[in-house]
Amino acid sequence: MSLDLAAVRYRYAGSSSVALGPVDLRVEPGMVVGVAGANESGKTTLCLVAAGMAPGVIGGRIEGSIVVDGVDAATLRPHELAQRCGLLFQRAATQLTHTTATVFEEVAFGPCNLSLAADEVVERVWWALGALGIEALAPREPTRLSGGQGQLVALASVLALRPKYLILDEPTSELDPAGTALVADALVRAARETGAGILLVEHKTDVLARIADEMVVLDRGSVAMRGPVADILGDVRLADLGVEAPAKVRLARDLQAAGADFTAELASALG
Amino acid sequence: MSAATAARTTAAPTIEFEGVSFAYPDGTQALDGLDLRIEPGETVAIVGQNGSGKSTLVKHLNGLLRPTAGRVLMDGEDVRAVHVARLAARVGLAFQNPDRQLCAGSVKAEIEFGPRNLGIRGAELDERVKAALDAVGLAGEVDTNPYDMGYSRRKLLAIASVLAMLTPILILDEPTTGQDARGVARVGSVVAAAAAAGRTVIAVSHDMRFAAECFGRVVVMRDGSVALDGAPAEVFAEPHWPELRAANLEPPLPAVAGARLGLGSTPTDATLVAALVELAPERG
Amino acid sequence: MERSPLVPDPGSAASSPGLPRNLGLPEYVTRRPSGFYRTLNPATKLAIAALEVVTVFLVPGWLGPIAVLLVLAVVAAASHTMRALAVIGLAASPLVISIMVVNLFILPGAVDPIFRAGPIAPTWSGLWFGLLTSTRLLVFSSAVALAYVTTPVDDLLADMSRRGLGRRGVFVVGAAVQMVPRTIERVGEIMDAQRARGMDTEGRIWRRARAIVPLAAPVVFGALTEVEERTMALEARAFTAPGRQTQLRVPADRSRDRALRWAALLALAGVVVLRLSGRVG
Repeated sequence: MSLDLAAVRYRYAGSSSVALGPVDLRVEPGMVVGVAGANESGKTTLCLVAAGMAPGVIGGRIEGSIVVDGVDAATLRPHELAQRCGLLFQRAATQLTHTTATVFEEVAFGPCNLSLAADEVVERVWWALGALGIEALAPREPTRLSGGQGQLVALASVLALRPKYLILDEPTSELDPAGTALVADALVRAARETGAGILLVEHKTDVLARIADEMVVLDRGSVAMRGPVADILGDVRLADLGVEAPAKVRLARDLQAAGADFTAELASALG
Repeated sequence: MSAATAARTTAAPTIEFEGVSFAYPDGTQALDGLDLRIEPGETVAIVGQNGSGKSTLVKHLNGLLRPTAGRVLMDGEDVRAVHVARLAARVGLAFQNPDRQLCAGSVKAEIEFGPRNLGIRGAELDERVKAALDAVGLAGEVDTNPYDMGYSRRKLLAIASVLAMLTPILILDEPTTGQDARGVARVGSVVAAAAAAGRTVIAVSHDMRFAAECFGRVVVMRDGSVALDGAPAEVFAEPHWPELRAANLEPPLPAVAGARLGLGSTPTDATLVAALVELAPERG
Repeated sequence: MERSPLVPDPGSAASSPGLPRNLGLPEYVTRRPSGFYRTLNPATKLAIAALEVVTVFLVPGWLGPIAVLLVLAVVAAASHTMRALAVIGLAASPLVISIMVVNLFILPGAVDPIFRAGPIAPTWSGLWFGLLTSTRLLVFSSAVALAYVTTPVDDLLADMSRRGLGRRGVFVVGAAVQMVPRTIERVGEIMDAQRARGMDTEGRIWRRARAIVPLAAPVVFGALTEVEERTMALEARAFTAPGRQTQLRVPADRSRDRALRWAALLALAGVVVLRLSGRVG
């Protein structure tokens, strides 16, 4: 049981250059796989391809195979894929339906589309809101929320579908540190409670250090590095690939550059 | 920059907030009796969690918002009396969402928009455009359609279009959100270059590291008023951590490390390294 | 711009993993208004409004408008919507004024002037006809407004959905309704951004005309680039799944709703038939 991308190559519609590929990637249930890379290295394309939006909704040409829990994604309709792979975009505003009066109904939109019984819908909505700690937002108007709040509501809306895999494209980019921590912890909880596998694209490598199990680094559309999170984040090649190492790693490296060896003190200070 | 352009750049004014309060039409109190003074040429990072009033505060500087109580003064003159379009010559504000302002078919035309409104033409205009493009690293994209560029580069474009207006006061609203490492470095160099040219630079951010490394002064906001105000070394020093945490912020990692090692206040990597090396020069 | 309630207190239930609290279907989703007219099924209200509109225009002379006006007055008083109707009246006043002016002075075939001042000769027939036309206009818009003001869009859409309008139709109407306030808000933000770049929004008219492109372009481009993302977002929420969309809130359709609706539709048909057959008018 896993989400498998094998030898995937993708070209956007009307473009001859390969935006992504070749990429091999596996996400297993309950695991968090991080994705880092410079801007325009293919991170967003990877999310769209893994979730079936590309080429399913936006066209383009794809090679290779995507298999979700043993089923070839190409044989699945978009809504069937949506139930398996939940997708969250960078900006909240475009993900809200703008047709619902309250956050509660906004989060209920997905389950209602699946024709679930009203009781089931209600239960799922409260579960999703509770997972992110935003029950207080339930009666509010979705369009009147701040950017960070909107993002959490969008995340809750995706969680309400109880997908097997969650694909998140920089979900914390517009959140402040407190909101970032909240989302990061909620993702871990979601992975544990529902057994979902998570593919998480992030610039904030501190977040990846905190919650990812393994990660890949993309460079110009293909995988330049892959491995356990700690190994990758400690690798000096990250800087060349346009990725900022987490604060601890940077600090250790700056010390080394100064020719000093204070790793012992640093380790004791930072725990 | 030509002599003519340099001469045109007037000296930055002193900025003062006197007991400024602001409530949105729906009743939300965003600013509450805020007092703040910014001297010409300072680099100030205004930090705080989402909803603390940071963006509301800076929008008072270019007249987009008027205080419901109190005054905003520039060189002693109440800003209320000045038209927004005329304040634009003194205060440049790069918005958080670049897509709200992109209105031209090419990068060049986009950057020209602001200066044109200020009456700049011809050779000086071309010069400003080139300087702005170089400053943000988009020199090769003169004829590119802004919507063919990714979000982070559109954000740099928005900053460039404000830079080209050569306003004495430069305000950046969340310039580093969504940027990769190179983008953040770019923004940092923009801040440094603007400060070197004598401009007052104000940035709204929730990135503590960016604030500590690129700014000479950090103002921490909480619930519409100033909670902490001082140099990074002061604001991120250990005695202020409870206050920071009450504002839902965390001190940057070097500050934490430095405090634990008893080295005093070391808000940035560089200061921490320097303190350690000084402590044990034989290992340095 | 509110203080963010994102961060839970360390001690709150939300921050500890485990049992989420199912608080049931909230009342703000199933809210029921009060008052006879307000609680009527949206389709019924629409049928009644249609009858009123047809009566105003097809029943000749003053009978139609006056009859409907009386009904509206009663309903508006009972459902506390007088103020809303007054607003509509105010909004229609420029149109009313122009109707009056045009008919007063330029009614073809009128030969009974009130007075003469050179070429200007307002006529009694013109005055009469102008009054009649304005009254028809006001009553018609009030009839529609009354139904609109007392029916939340979600209720209407939920009812339509129950009657078989597909989820796409529901979405389109819902999105269209929201689009206007959204666009207005967005234009406001864009105006702020462009004014901050020195664009002149006060001042001579031709200067302001130049502001159209810097204002319109971000609106249009923004809307276009959003389309693709919003399409994907909808797919990601299983919008295209087959089957009936679950409705959490459906307005009631009681026997009195059905009775009134049928009565209104029959009366409407009656008026049309009578008019067409030439018996009346």
